[in-house]
Amino acid sequence: MLGYWSPVTQSAGFVSKGALAASVILMMAGFTLSESLPAYKTSPDVLHPPSAEYWLGTNGIGQDVFIGLVRAAPITIFLALVTATVALALALAASSLAAFGGPAVRGAVLRVVDVLQVIPSILLLLLLAAWIQPGFLGLVVLLALTGWHEDVRVALPILLRELTRENVHFARRMGASRTYCLRHHILPAIWPAIVGLFLQNVRQAALKSAGFGFLGLTDPRLLTWGSMMQDAMEHLYTDAWAWLLLPPAGALSLFLIGILIIGEGYSQSGGLTGKEQYDPG
Amino acid sequence: MHLFHHPLVRVVAATLAALLLTLAAATAGPVGQLVITDARGDRGMLAPYIHGKNGIGYLYTTYVFDSLLSQKKDGDVTPALAKRWTISRNGLICDIYIDLRAHWHDGEPVTAEDAAFTFSYMQEHPYVFADVRNVKEAKVLSHDHLRLQLKKPDAGLLTGMLLSMPVLPKHVYADVAEPQRFAEPEAVIGSGPYKLADYNKAQGRYVLEANADYYLGTPKFKRIAIVKMATDAALRAAKADEIDIISYLPPERLEQAKESGLNVVKAFSNHSVRLGFNHAGRFGSKDLRHAIAYAINRPALISTAYQDTADVADTGFFQEASPWHSDDVHPPYAFSPRKAADLLTAQGWARAEDQLWYIDGEQVVLRVLASKRETKAAKVLAEQLETFGIKLDVRIMERAALQDSLSEGNYDLALYASSTLGDPNGILRRVFGKKWASDRYSGKKLRALADAQSVATSRQQRQDILNEFQEVYSQELPAYAIANPYMVTAYNDKLSSLEFMPGGVAIGVPSALHKSYLVD
Repeated sequence: MLGYWSPVTQSAGFVSKGALAASVILMMAGFTLSESLPAYKTSPDVLHPPSAEYWLGTNGIGQDVFIGLVRAAPITIFLALVTATVALALALAASSLAAFGGPAVRGAVLRVVDVLQVIPSILLLLLLAAWIQPGFLGLVVLLALTGWHEDVRVALPILLRELTRENVHFARRMGASRTYCLRHHILPAIWPAIVGLFLQNVRQAALKSAGFGFLGLTDPRLLTWGSMMQDAMEHLYTDAWAWLLLPPAGALSLFLIGILIIGEGYSQSGGLTGKEQYDPG
Repeated sequence: MHLFHHPLVRVVAATLAALLLTLAAATAGPVGQLVITDARGDRGMLAPYIHGKNGIGYLYTTYVFDSLLSQKKDGDVTPALAKRWTISRNGLICDIYIDLRAHWHDGEPVTAEDAAFTFSYMQEHPYVFADVRNVKEAKVLSHDHLRLQLKKPDAGLLTGMLLSMPVLPKHVYADVAEPQRFAEPEAVIGSGPYKLADYNKAQGRYVLEANADYYLGTPKFKRIAIVKMATDAALRAAKADEIDIISYLPPERLEQAKESGLNVVKAFSNHSVRLGFNHAGRFGSKDLRHAIAYAINRPALISTAYQDTADVADTGFFQEASPWHSDDVHPPYAFSPRKAADLLTAQGWARAEDQLWYIDGEQVVLRVLASKRETKAAKVLAEQLETFGIKLDVRIMERAALQDSLSEGNYDLALYASSTLGDPNGILRRVFGKKWASDRYSGKKLRALADAQSVATSRQQRQDILNEFQEVYSQELPAYAIANPYMVTAYNDKLSSLEFMPGGVAIGVPSALHKSYLVD
């Protein structure tokens, strides 16, 4: 996955910082601008194809898709980034606990993961929906709590593999501290996997949050690219899918590619090791 | 002779032979199989206590279980298990004579014993779609003669209870203590035109087989399969002649169904979409209900959320197609933000500079519940009320979660749809009941009228009381009727000229698939 980008991004650090800055600016601008944007209001002009008046057409209740796309951007990006970060942090913490904590702790962590994997998260969410009415932050917590366990299954074996490598043993024997090993040997090696997991979390958060409106967990009017894609689904039988599904799906894909570039660039620019570059090849 | 060896001739001859064979097979007997598609699927096992608690579950069950009365295609009652009946002048005694040609699916004869048993069994184990509490005694006078003694006269005796109540086989149900948990194969022994041969809950699939001994005619099909299929798949399958009926086609896909070669029947469902209020909470006040009604622009809502698949509903509960609809004009609560604002101000609400409404300095946020089917309407409604300055918190929920939130009173407004058809006694359930899709209202004046119409002694008297009921309903506004959506059923040439049952099937199910269309 990373190799694909390597030849393209010679100055990966620059691109990465650019992409990072761009998404932060987009998010901030989105939040501040959303008040001054035209309202995302319904109209009898339903399923209108793209035109001069509606740049990307209208949806099933006459809302302008372009306005929706712009208005959804900050919410989607914020929701996805925060959720993915929290979920990944939880997963890494659990994996580290399992990796360093000895067989008993590892067993316990893995059993918890097993239980969470066996129970469909939709069931858990339905149950929660009956009890609580989470706000926007509650939604983030719920998304993170129902997503982290899948990452552990990937992160733990990789972590265990890297911990037992010769270079780590050698460095330790030569007097390197644990932190030094983590920073210079382990993190660089598992970084591609972390980026991959993060991407997966972002994608899941964006799509899963769309379903929350139909579980009564959020107001169905909470606008994200995921919810726009979900609304598009009922129009797959008409030509409208082209302007209902493609724009949010495209935006989400661009966003994911952006994160990939950021992750790639961070490791390429040496941000990880501080001094030397790590070559995943 | 040499000619026959020509390859082309042989191909033509073979094709002709195959064609003839197919024709012979097709004309040999009754059409073999009818496939009905249902977008939602599982409706529970087709026995009275275990079918899904909704109109469709009930409708399918009527294919397996006959009632004492049935309906003609114009909606009027016609004999079924009861071949004739008389009602005493004071309306308290009803003599019913059972059609002795009727048999249960296991071969046992249907007798007056079974009917009497059903009345007493349903007293003990209430069945949601037939209220038998008014029956004082059901006495068996002979093999085929049953006498019902009522506590009070019932204007809806024929079109309500006797039409809706499925008759149970005494020899099966007599020993069943918990019918809600009785899902053995015997549970579906009925006396209807079709037997339930197979039921797969996970796939939502039913296979019904013709009851060859049916007493009211010959079932039209050897087998009826009811399968779960999404509309897209169903339309494709219809093109390939794999399915015969799309029971509820989304009305906006009507043209597509026609292109697939299907016939379509379209009618107002009279399954009105209503905005209900939490009468136990903030909306106990009639003026507040009126204020909300004036703040909603129904024609605009419909043109956005439904386009041409619904029309503005009548505010007097019964819709225009109902035989009980009154000719009086009911207030339409035409969109008037000024009237709404005046009413709210009189109730102590205040509009601040931000154009939002406050009570005692606290911003008003109303919690709106809706089922998934009403999502679009809920979104447009929320936009309208927020434009008016009332903040909303909208929640789309599953049925069980909705029911829970309602019983806890955890809502202000609710958007739901339920039928307004069937015998008018249905208003007792649909306006004063406690279920999700009921108005959950308890106003005394309206209740008195609902009770009075149920004991009316003539049709005219009943109509007069119902006219008044509709007027009071439209003024008290237990719920604000928003839209009356169309329903469409698509079918192929295995059936002819289906129509939605005027007044609804039995309990008031808007459907074009009454069992009389499935029997010759």
